[in-house]
Amino acid sequence: MPRFFSNKRLIILLVGVIVLVALIAFSLRDRNHANVPEQAVKDVVGFGQSLVTKPAHFVTGLIENIDTMLNTYEENKRLKKRLETYAAMQAELVDVKANNVKLRGIIDKQEDLRAFEPIQSTVISRNPDQWEEKIIIDKGTTAGVDVNMAVMTAQGLIGKVILSTPFTSTVELISTENSDFRVAAMVVGEEEMFGLIEGYDRTSGQLIMKRLDSSFNVKKGMQVISSGLGGIFPKGILIGEVTEVSTDDYGLTKLAYIKPAATFSQLDHVMIAKRTMTVVDGTDGGNSADAEGDDES
Amino acid sequence: MIRFIIPLIAILLFFLEPIFSLFSPIEINSELYITVPRFLMVYLIFIATYYNSKRAIIYGFVLGLLYDMYHIDIIGLYTFMYPLICYVAALVIRQIERHTVTVMVLSVVMIVLLELLSYFFASVIALTSIDFGEFFTSRLIPTMIANSLFIVMFGYMFKQITEKRFFQKQAGF
Repeated sequence: MPRFFSNKRLIILLVGVIVLVALIAFSLRDRNHANVPEQAVKDVVGFGQSLVTKPAHFVTGLIENIDTMLNTYEENKRLKKRLETYAAMQAELVDVKANNVKLRGIIDKQEDLRAFEPIQSTVISRNPDQWEEKIIIDKGTTAGVDVNMAVMTAQGLIGKVILSTPFTSTVELISTENSDFRVAAMVVGEEEMFGLIEGYDRTSGQLIMKRLDSSFNVKKGMQVISSGLGGIFPKGILIGEVTEVSTDDYGLTKLAYIKPAATFSQLDHVMIAKRTMTVVDGTDGGNSADAEGDDES
Repeated sequence: MIRFIIPLIAILLFFLEPIFSLFSPIEINSELYITVPRFLMVYLIFIATYYNSKRAIIYGFVLGLLYDMYHIDIIGLYTFMYPLICYVAALVIRQIERHTVTVMVLSVVMIVLLELLSYFFASVIALTSIDFGEFFTSRLIPTMIANSLFIVMFGYMFKQITEKRFFQKQAGF
């Protein structure tokens, strides 16, 4: 066998392929938990990454500032027009809020699905090969971030935490192809119309909201927020606006297309919503089918 | 000092890739184009050509492993692909002249190969469902263009650094 062994490279390649397949199979099995060496690597690399990313964010922020400065005049004109209606809305909102607190006092209900504790965080990297929509942020379990928490920007919901290590967390964006990504949502109208956000239409860049009862009167232009009934997300995070309503494949329930309120590119600062009310593993978590018995048909 | 410059640049490029991917996808005429930064791959090909192909494969293996653990959460994809591409590049470069322009062209070809491999793996593991036509127009072509720009801008510098290190090593430094 001397000739065979002289071809050392071929052996290395073959062994490499075998090890590769074994490793892929091993790590695909359980992707949402990091074992101790993985956590250590993530934290160390994440630390180095944030040393490089933060100056980069500073520079892009500077350029953005200059860019907005050039548009200031136009923007100011537009904003002035909106300011008048804003003052009236503000007064109304304060009144409504005060009223709400008073009424809550009367019925003696302290807990609120809407209440959450925000954790501010910086995006340090995005998965460079972009087969999956993932970003990594610089807060982890030591800051109180946990798997399945909602992640949002000032504009609206962008995704949820799928993996957290002591000092970093991986966030899957809502614009993912992953069909297991569900968010319990509702359309705000005269009544509360509940449904589930599941799926994203890549070509039009819109979210798909399914399982809306056919008796609901969903119209174009209505706002969609998280319902808080999924167990982990707080209530009232803005998701987007209905652009189109149709029926699903079987004609039993309605289906709405939603234009997301947040943009998914050039993310820098995000907020993680840590709900103050009890958390249960429902639709927002991974094992919704078992927990709620909701039927995949 | 120059001893550490080669791995330092590799690590810097490793950290720069995810920052550039924050700008992607780019929207032109309401079409989304994904550009994948492959800076590290380009640099490794230059190391393989002008310095030492074995070193390039080792760097590819280590950084590929970190890439997998940090970004992908599937160990084995880039750990395998980076060294493989370095190896193929080293094989090819043995047959042709080591002119800067030919190495630049080779880098673009290798990036295309890497993208095709990564598309193959992503469809096998079911990370993506896009068909080949869409992959070609919305991902492969923009990636090629973006990385060609990078190669044209930094290729000559990479050549200078790696070649300098090679001559130093030959002089027994």
